[in-house]
Amino acid sequence: MVTVDWLKADLLVPVLVFLGVLFIALWLRRISYDALQRWLSKKQTEASRIIISATKGPFLHWFLILGAYIALQVSVLATQWKVLAGKILASIFVAYLGWILIRLSRELVKLYLSKTKVPRSVITVTTNVAQVTIVIVGVLILLELWGAPMIPILVAVICAIAIAILAFRDMFPNLVSGLQLTQQKQIKTGDLIRLESGEEGHVQEITWRNTEIRTLGGETIIIPNSKLMQTTIINYGKQPKAAKEPFQFFTRLHLKELTGLKARNLTELVERLESVPDAVIYYHTHSFIEEYHFLTPQPANDFALWVEDALGYDVLAERLASIDTLEFPSVGSLRQMIIRAIQDFLAQTANERDAPPGNEFHFVKSIGVVLPTPYVAHNLREFVGILRRISTDSLYFHIFEARLRLHRGTNDFSLWFEDSLGEKELAEEVSRLDPYNYTLENLREKIIQLCEKRL
Amino acid sequence: MNPRINLSDYEHIVGRSYIEELRMLAGKLSGKSILNVNSTFVGGGVAEILSRMVPLLNQLGVDTRWRVISGDTRFFEITKKFHNALHGSQSEPISDEEFSIFLETTKQNMHKIDLSSDILFIHDPQPVALIAKKSNTHSKWIWRCHIDISHPDSRVWDFLKQFVVNYDGTVFSSPNFAQELPIRQFFAPPSIDPLSDKNRELSIEATDAILAKYGLDRDKPIILQVSRFDWLKDPLGVIKAFELVRKNFVCQLVLAGGAASDDPESEAVLKKVKERAADNPDIHILDLPPDSNLEINALQRAATIIVQKSIREGFALTITEALWKAKPVVASAVGGIPLQVRNKLTGLLCHSVEGAARALRQILANPDYGQWLGRNGREHVRQHFLITREIRDYLLIFLTAGRNEDFIYL
Repeated sequence: MVTVDWLKADLLVPVLVFLGVLFIALWLRRISYDALQRWLSKKQTEASRIIISATKGPFLHWFLILGAYIALQVSVLATQWKVLAGKILASIFVAYLGWILIRLSRELVKLYLSKTKVPRSVITVTTNVAQVTIVIVGVLILLELWGAPMIPILVAVICAIAIAILAFRDMFPNLVSGLQLTQQKQIKTGDLIRLESGEEGHVQEITWRNTEIRTLGGETIIIPNSKLMQTTIINYGKQPKAAKEPFQFFTRLHLKELTGLKARNLTELVERLESVPDAVIYYHTHSFIEEYHFLTPQPANDFALWVEDALGYDVLAERLASIDTLEFPSVGSLRQMIIRAIQDFLAQTANERDAPPGNEFHFVKSIGVVLPTPYVAHNLREFVGILRRISTDSLYFHIFEARLRLHRGTNDFSLWFEDSLGEKELAEEVSRLDPYNYTLENLREKIIQLCEKRL
Repeated sequence: MNPRINLSDYEHIVGRSYIEELRMLAGKLSGKSILNVNSTFVGGGVAEILSRMVPLLNQLGVDTRWRVISGDTRFFEITKKFHNALHGSQSEPISDEEFSIFLETTKQNMHKIDLSSDILFIHDPQPVALIAKKSNTHSKWIWRCHIDISHPDSRVWDFLKQFVVNYDGTVFSSPNFAQELPIRQFFAPPSIDPLSDKNRELSIEATDAILAKYGLDRDKPIILQVSRFDWLKDPLGVIKAFELVRKNFVCQLVLAGGAASDDPESEAVLKKVKERAADNPDIHILDLPPDSNLEINALQRAATIIVQKSIREGFALTITEALWKAKPVVASAVGGIPLQVRNKLTGLLCHSVEGAARALRQILANPDYGQWLGRNGREHVRQHFLITREIRDYLLIFLTAGRNEDFIYL
């Protein structure tokens, strides 16, 4: 009987209170969520669906906790047990609420930011910041609940936040710039852009801190978003049509091989000219371009210079200097023209002069060493970008050596324009240029101008 | 080598694509080792270029080492005689015993030096006979001759030639140094380092301080010749040309150089030059100590025109230095000077005192013309006579050693 009395007196009231609260909770949830559902259904927002589905179940659980708390307070338990149990229930409530808020923040941030098309990393960072804030607030409430000394903890938290702000102070301008870049759609992944520095490349990724650009040379440049916002960018936007075959840029470096052969007069010069390899003729008719490619007018070929300086035959020198190399399809035919000019002169010269000792003509051979560069153009826009930055050796190879030493009939660029891009007119325009009358830099600029007209 | 200098420091001088190509070439040598051998770590042009080149090659990722041969005083006296004989200057005869000492010392060095390497780059005649150790057919041996052998003493050259022909290739500094050899001979002119004390940029204050130190008037045009006091540099000819010019133009002449320790005649030349210039306050004779790199740099930068009126010349790196400083140059058409000075394009060439005076007057009267020549000269040096070009030539030689085509695809 004692047990029944105790049940009646000590347990019945708290149980009734708990059930009462549960009943109220069920009723409240029904009317409030029905009303909420009706109101939100008019809005048809994804956010409302997320909020309802995330809080509907927990709403009941929170009231269960509330019911348990009130039941405990009306029970006959000793005061210290009531306080302890109350704190445990409050802690469970705070933790549960925090967990739900974290879930909600994750879903809502994702929902909102994905609509703005910001990079995934920005979403991750924002979500993390929201979650960490909720955790910190939750922990602070729990500490307060359990009576921990708050002032030192608050000071520690403030210090930690200050340190974090200091440590990541550069991050925020980048984050904001990253958002601006994507929001305003100034650049997007895949765009070909040109930076103020002259560097060109495709945008690979825009993260919350940096923008990654893959240059036409295959290097990766990482630029902080805030810096990118401050520079002038040319966005070429839509790419021109792709070539059937990409253009691989090569470069040609050269070694000068000494043959040990020399000539003291025109007769010896002709004898040697008839027998030396093509690479020797090529060297002496092109070394002036390589050595003085920055000068206009460039000096004449080596034979003309020697005939004038060492032998003093000005007329022959002028004749040799005026041979138009562009007219000859091969080194062999150029060689014959030079020999003929000297022989014609010799036929009219009675006493041939010798060069003073030490001023003999030394025959040098050009050894071409060709190697591929990292630059490959897939369309005309990329071609122009690469042409702007390749070395003069590379330009020289595709213009001069391709035609005369590799017997391709014209320069490599024109061949590609016509065969792979179908740009016959451009191919002809570039082919018509006389490269011997430009400095290499001017020639580069001229070809770029012709290409730009087609873009 | 200044440890602070690295390859990227040259990028703003020669251009990014140039350094990119060096890296591409170096990449092709990946896994290969290069061993340089010469006779000294300090003093002389070869040690200077190696002390700069070896670290740069290693920065490029090419495994490059440098060793020197050892020998007693007698050995180096003999190799000095070789040097003079190859240079074509009047030299003492070399006995059979001296040739034997040379070979014996070489043999000792073969045991002392670890010669295991993919490419052996042997500099000048002192270590040339190390080629006798060439047994491994995979390793390539290149002989780099830095000296003028256009008119070598035939006995000494024939002795050295028996070793040279066993190399896989040779490298000379000028086309007219080429010899009749059954192996490939390459032409790679010497170079200057634009970041060295002698060539780096100097502030106006630093330049002015050095001019003040030597009592030079900054406001009066300076005609400068930098060279050791040697009859072959024709200092009296320069004074004569200056006197012809001075009649019409206010200017001053500076002859700056040192007395070579191995040339007993240089003291006498210096004395004579000083006597000749004594009564002319516009002529300044500066006897500089050997390590006066900054002083020479400042003088060259302050000069209006730089002269090199040599009677005979090697490559004339003083001309390279002058051109690099964008100065108009008046120089004799001898030795390696015409390789650097293309008449009326990168400077003015002369053949006589009167010709030099005429060229000086042309430039003094037409400063714009002088500036144009100077600009062209600097560009010419940038393209062809900087250390980066020499490194590129060597990389190409290493990569193509043993190949005989005229067009090589790597």
